[in-house]
Amino acid sequence: MQEFTNDPIDINLLPQFQEVPLNSLSPKYWKIVVINMGIFMAVTTIGIIFLLLFNAEIKKYTGLIIGAYLVLMVLMFLLYRADVNRRGFAVREKDIIYRHGLIAISTTIIPFSRIQHIALDEGLFSRMYQLGQLRIFTAGGNSGSLHIPGIEIEEARQIKELLMRQISLQD
Amino acid sequence: MDQDFSKPQKQSATGVIIMFANNLQKVIRAVALPLIFIVLKSKGNYGIEFILGISFLFLLLLAIYAWFSYQQFSFFLDEDKQEFVINEGIFNKSTLTIQLNKIQQVNINQSLLQQIIGVYSLDIDTAGSEKKEASIKAIDHLTATRLKQRLLSERDPITTTVAVATPKPMLKLSNATLLKVGITSNYGASILLLMGFIFGLIQFFKDYTALFEVETTEIYAELSQGFGFISICFFIGFALIVVLGTNIIRTFIRYFQFQIIRQKGALAISSGLLTRKNTLLTPKKVQLSAYSQNYFQKKLGISNMKVKQAAYGTADEEESKKSHIEIPGCNEPERQDILKMIYDQIPQKGKALIPNYRFLFLQIMLKIVGPSVLSCFFAFAVYQPLQPYLALLIPYAILVLILLYFEYKHHRLYANQGFIIKKSGIWDITEEIIEIHKIQAITSKQYFWHKKADVGHLLLHTAAGVIHFKYGNYSQINNLVNYWLYQLERTKKDWI
Repeated sequence: MQEFTNDPIDINLLPQFQEVPLNSLSPKYWKIVVINMGIFMAVTTIGIIFLLLFNAEIKKYTGLIIGAYLVLMVLMFLLYRADVNRRGFAVREKDIIYRHGLIAISTTIIPFSRIQHIALDEGLFSRMYQLGQLRIFTAGGNSGSLHIPGIEIEEARQIKELLMRQISLQD
Repeated sequence: MDQDFSKPQKQSATGVIIMFANNLQKVIRAVALPLIFIVLKSKGNYGIEFILGISFLFLLLLAIYAWFSYQQFSFFLDEDKQEFVINEGIFNKSTLTIQLNKIQQVNINQSLLQQIIGVYSLDIDTAGSEKKEASIKAIDHLTATRLKQRLLSERDPITTTVAVATPKPMLKLSNATLLKVGITSNYGASILLLMGFIFGLIQFFKDYTALFEVETTEIYAELSQGFGFISICFFIGFALIVVLGTNIIRTFIRYFQFQIIRQKGALAISSGLLTRKNTLLTPKKVQLSAYSQNYFQKKLGISNMKVKQAAYGTADEEESKKSHIEIPGCNEPERQDILKMIYDQIPQKGKALIPNYRFLFLQIMLKIVGPSVLSCFFAFAVYQPLQPYLALLIPYAILVLILLYFEYKHHRLYANQGFIIKKSGIWDITEEIIEIHKIQAITSKQYFWHKKADVGHLLLHTAAGVIHFKYGNYSQINNLVNYWLYQLERTKKDWI
C-alpha cells in the first residue's frame, strides 16, 4: 500500500498559471507576418489600381479610396503588431500554456496527460527563417487544441521531443 | 453452459431472408426511379407478362446472391490474438478484424423485419477515428447476448460465465411517464416540424392553384374576411393539439418500453416502438452527463437525462450522435440511481459562481437596444408606414428582458472536489456535470476592458463538448483553474 495522505490544500499556495513568465514568439516571426501582409497588400493594391483605371465613375473618389485604404493598412499593421507581441507560451513540468488574443486575451492550458498527438509544421516562409508551428491536439476537438506559431525550429523540436516523452511516460 | 465462438460460424439460417431483403431494398432504392421512368416511357409496349417475368428472374438472381453471401459470411473470436474476425464477400472477399480492446459499444438491434422473423442484429462500434464498424445481420437472441458479453469482457475471457436470466431492470418507463414526457418536452423541435408541414401545405396549395388556374385573389379575400378572432383562437388551439400530438407520438416511437438493466458494471439501455434499440453505457467512458427540467416537468417530478460518451475523434455526425444517450422522464430517485451508477456517488454542488451583471449588458445591447434603434431609424428615415407598429417594440423589449433575466439567473457554475456542475437555460434548465479528470484543456479568457472589473470567462474543453461559463469573477476563475490543473496533473485516473 502506498503512503496515503489527504491534507487540506491551500489554493493560494498552488502554482499560479497566470504568473508564469511566458516566452514570447521569436522576433523573426514578425518578419513572416510582415511578408504575408506585404503579399496581401500587393494583391489588394493591384486590385484597386485596376478598379481605378477601368471604372470612370469611381475615379472622382480616388483620393478618398486611397486614403481609406492606407488608414486600413496602417490599422491592420498596428493590430497585428500588438497581437504578435501579446502572444506567449510556456512549458511547465506538467502542462503547456499558450496565451493569445487581442480583444479577448485567452490563456489555454493543456496538461501533458491529455495530449493526443503533436504536429510540427514548417511553412515556406517560416523555413526561410528557421521557424516552426507547433500544433497540439487533445480529445477536446478543435476548441481544445493549440496552434503555436513562430517558435525557433530547434526549440520547437525540443519541445515536441519533450512532450512525446511525456506522453509515452503516461501510458 | 458456454458457447464456443472460436470456430468460424454462420448467422442464423433465416439470415438469408434478411440478406435478401437488404439487397432488395438497396436495388429498389437504386433503380426504382429510372425503372418507373422507363416503364412510363415505353407506354405499355411490353405486356404485363414480360414485366412479371423480368421481375421474377431478377428476384431469383437476388435470392441466389443472398444465399451465397449467407454462405460466405462467417465470424469467430480469436482468443489468442484477442480479435473478433468477420469474413464476407462473394467476389471480393474481405476480412474484418477488430481488436477486442478497441470495442466501445456492442448494440443489439431489431428492425421490423427482424422482429417478424425473430432474429437480431449485432453491431460493433469501435473507438478511434478510423471507420471500422462491423455488423452481423441475423443472429438469435441468446447467441447475440452471449457474444456481446464475450466481446465486452476483453480482459478475462475464460472466467466469463453468462447469466442467461435477465435481471430486474433498474429503470423502466411506464406509458404514463412517456405521456408526461411527451406533453412537457421538445416543443422547439415539434414546432419546427409543424412549421415545415404548414409551409409544405402552403406550397402545395400554391402549386395546386397555379395548376388549375384558380383565381387566387378570391380565395385570399375570403380567407382574410373569415380570419376573425374566433378562427385565430381555433387555429392556435389546433396548432397546440398538433404540436402536443406529434410530441407524444415521437416520444412513444423513440422511448416505448424504455428500460435500463444493470449488467456487469455497465448499463444496458433498450427502447423503441418500431425498432428496438439497444445501447450499452460504460460508466468510465461517460464524459459528461446532463439533466434538464422545465417548470411543468418540475411540477410533475420528472427530468430528462442525457449522457455523453466520448464523441470527438469519431469521424462523422451520425457516430457522435449515437454516443449520446438520452434517458427521458426519470424521477428524482431514479436520477440519483443512475448518477450513482456512473459516478459511484451523487455529485454534490459546491460553492456557486455567480456571473457579473455585465452578463446582461451586452445581451441587452444586442437584443433590445440594437434592434430598437435600427427599427426606429428604418421607420422614420426609410419607410414611414411602419411608424404605428413601433409600439410593438415595448412588449418585445419586456419579453426579451424577462428571458434574459432568467438566463442570467440560471447561469451558474458549481465546483467541488470531484465535480463541476454548470447550470444554464431559460425555460429548460439544464445542469451539466463533469468530473474534473475528464477535462482535456482549460481556457480562461478576458476582454481587455474587463481587466479593472475583474470579470472573465472560463471554457472547459471535454471530449463531449465545451462547458462555457461567462462573466465570472476572474480571480476566482483563475484560482479554480489552478486547482483543477493541480487535480488533473496529480490524478492517475484516465479520461477514457
